[in-house]
Amino acid sequence: MSPQELSHHQAAADDRTLFGFWIYLMTDLLMFAVLFAVYAVLHNNTFGGETGRELFKLPLALAETLILLTSSFTCGIGMIAARRGNKNQVLIWFGITFILGLAFLGLELAEFSSLISEGHTLHSNAFMSSFFVLLGTHGLHISAGLLWMGTTLGYIMKRGLNNSMVRKLTMLSLFWHFLDIVWIFIFTIVYLRAFV
Amino acid sequence: MSSESHTPDGERGTMRSYVIGFILSLVFTFIPYFMVVNHTVKGPALLATILGFAVLQMLVQVIFFLHLGRGPKPKWNLFFFISTVGIILVVVAGSIVIIHNLHYNMAPPEQVKKLVNDEGIAQVSGQKTGACQEVLVNHQVTITNGQVTPAHTTAHTCDTLTFYNQSSSTLTLKYITEGPYPHETYAGETELTIRKGQGMTINLSETGTYQFYDKSQTTTAGDFTINP
Repeated sequence: MSPQELSHHQAAADDRTLFGFWIYLMTDLLMFAVLFAVYAVLHNNTFGGETGRELFKLPLALAETLILLTSSFTCGIGMIAARRGNKNQVLIWFGITFILGLAFLGLELAEFSSLISEGHTLHSNAFMSSFFVLLGTHGLHISAGLLWMGTTLGYIMKRGLNNSMVRKLTMLSLFWHFLDIVWIFIFTIVYLRAFV
Repeated sequence: MSSESHTPDGERGTMRSYVIGFILSLVFTFIPYFMVVNHTVKGPALLATILGFAVLQMLVQVIFFLHLGRGPKPKWNLFFFISTVGIILVVVAGSIVIIHNLHYNMAPPEQVKKLVNDEGIAQVSGQKTGACQEVLVNHQVTITNGQVTPAHTTAHTCDTLTFYNQSSSTLTLKYITEGPYPHETYAGETELTIRKGQGMTINLSETGTYQFYDKSQTTTAGDFTINP
């Protein structure tokens, strides 16, 4: 049965599941909002240490942004393939999304380790604490998303693309676009703002 | 590709909407990035502009990628999203305003001195603060690529001193004080960042001799003496 042939009853059940997941995303967004508020309040409290302008590298942040935007796009293309029931295209596009997500995570971890090796840690000052907590929380979400994507793709490879998989992919794509939105605000408020 | 917009899943997202969304999101990333790198606009206006682009970027993601508001009615997803955004605005804006106020009014001693000077508060708890009520004379120091003119300034309390930066890059001046406050501060200020071509004025409210130097080029230095 192709996804277009879903019975009316099952489509309604899917809509309820998606709405439940949407509510989760919105509460998660509230948590990020609180972390943003903390960062906005504390970002000047460097305790005499370096400010964001001296620590951040804008080209790196731009690269991370472009990678995540592209992965959001490929994830969307993957969803079109999923609704058509095209298993191979789903594997290709979500595979690209997965690799881009890994690349993003790699860049973020590289930035963290370079900051930590220069002595700027979670404990340095309030600015660094709020920075690491905000970006770390986003990074953890990306890691969870990658784990989710990896297992779902493994399942699809083994058992094929069925309706329940399409529903999972839909939620996964919502989650991924959501993380992209959060990152846009990190890019603007954390990175760009430091150079204003 | 053009046939895709007529498929049954059209309302959920087509190739066309993803491509448009992707291009728009790239545009809304590069514009604020280059505005910040080139400093086409300055200060609060630039901050407001990049925040505006972030909101536009979010709308692009919400409309073209999440397809919010295009599902069947009633649009509970959209209602829930809007109410969440409302709560976020209250929480974030409220926190920033409240903590900024708190920080301004209940701050450590160095900050209090700056507050007293900036606001011209003559006395606190019955004690005279020495804060100036009016400006007497404005002294000027110009810094041009390592040259400080004049290197020595003599002034009286309640005068002001303006540093002009004619160098080709941003200056960050730090102070050396030897008085009762043996920190690198002057009247509550720790350092002064002056963009090229701009000037910054400080209130001379503390007596004594103070040295200042450029943080990145410590040979660029001078001093000022304030007599009562």
